[in-house]
Amino acid sequence: MITSVFLLAFIAVLCSLDVTAFGQFMLCRPIFCAPLFGFIMGDINTGLWIGMISEMVWIKAIPMGVAVPIDIASISIMATYWSCKYFKGTHEAAMWAMALAIPFAFFYREIDVYGRNFNIRIMHWVEDGINKNKESRINWGLFWGLFFSAARLYAFYLFAMTLGGLIFQLVYCQFPAFVVGGFKKAWSLLPILGFGAVLYNFRNIKIPFMKK
Amino acid sequence: MAKAYLYSKMFFKTFFLQALWNFERLQNIGFLFVLKPFLDKIYSDKEKRREALLRHTGFFNTHPYMANVIIAITANMEQQAADGNLDDVKKINLVKSTMAGPLAAIGDSFFWGTLRPVAAFISIFFVILFSRGLDQKFPAFSIMIPLIFIFIYNIVHLPLRYWFLFISFKLDKESIAFISKLEFKFLWEMARYFGLIIIVASLFFYFNIFGFGPGNTIFFANAVPDALVYGIVLVLATLLGRFSANFMFYSVILLCIAMSYLGL
Repeated sequence: MITSVFLLAFIAVLCSLDVTAFGQFMLCRPIFCAPLFGFIMGDINTGLWIGMISEMVWIKAIPMGVAVPIDIASISIMATYWSCKYFKGTHEAAMWAMALAIPFAFFYREIDVYGRNFNIRIMHWVEDGINKNKESRINWGLFWGLFFSAARLYAFYLFAMTLGGLIFQLVYCQFPAFVVGGFKKAWSLLPILGFGAVLYNFRNIKIPFMKK
Repeated sequence: MAKAYLYSKMFFKTFFLQALWNFERLQNIGFLFVLKPFLDKIYSDKEKRREALLRHTGFFNTHPYMANVIIAITANMEQQAADGNLDDVKKINLVKSTMAGPLAAIGDSFFWGTLRPVAAFISIFFVILFSRGLDQKFPAFSIMIPLIFIFIYNIVHLPLRYWFLFISFKLDKESIAFISKLEFKFLWEMARYFGLIIIVASLFFYFNIFGFGPGNTIFFANAVPDALVYGIVLVLATLLGRFSANFMFYSVILLCIAMSYLGL
């Protein structure tokens, strides 16, 4: 079991880089990264459940074209990390963790948009280099793009894991019993919401023998 | 041998296609990064190479996997330009921009819209099927579930990605016709039917495991089975699917808290 926040943030960065910057092997998908964090932190089943809910509920969040959707990798990673670190095995806490992780994911999206705008400067630097016969700038430009993406992610995860974790446990301890009871119900009901989102996604499917 | 090494090097570099993704010209530098070893090989003259590199600094955006097709065709055209067999080098960028849109549409719908959800549904099916026994009976299986997703997705996507690059080098523009003959739409539809079957089976098991019987009375105490609440929420969630996922997520959380407050 790994408990060092520095190491865990690094693993989270490796998963999140897969969204755009490197590879797209789907290591960033909640169904993989949430159980991975659960496994690392000694509670893989909570990770699987969080991953399953995130995967289904945000099924439409796909980075197509210039669209930058909410970062569901960070939702599942943060939710699994907080719930496994502070209230291991508690389903209610896992649901609160997911609810709290969404604003953090929006915050990361803003950082990501800033980063993609910052990449324009690097791109112009590379272009200028090619004009001056400095071809090595192509490799360096790509390296800096990757480096700044990783640095942004690392700073975000360190901030979210520590400060977010503090907010998570302090607020959770103040919740009245009925709120905690509500989160317990949500543990079973949110997968159903996910199924609904998935079925909605299948609305255009045509059954062969019913085709006109 | 040297050619195979060059193509393999380019294939490895395609993983970095979006490393410098920017809002102005999107994947342009990534495209250049992949193509550079090829341009280095065919243009020994520095000035001609500079012109070729500058040609590819313009706007470029497509699906990151399908980009391999365009990279290979562009490389072939650059080869023709270097050999003096291409009358107008402007055609290179024209071909690039013409192919980017349709290939992006194929990639988005097949890889993002079909393969990824289907691979995820298979893992979700196993999460639900073994949800009550993961701790006791199948502790090792919990680790296998996310790996199943990664395996299914990558066993399909990686060979295809590799093949796209090599077939396009070999067949040049004919590769587009070759790919279109592969009946991607048919594969896509079949995968979607399979996905639908898997998700309906998962739903059936979910209702069976968590909807009825002892221990499944977290809503309305013992008055009605939980399956009734699940059924109502499922219908509402499907009908209201066009609303934002975040809105729906928080609505369900608030609904649960309200039910808890009312003692339901």
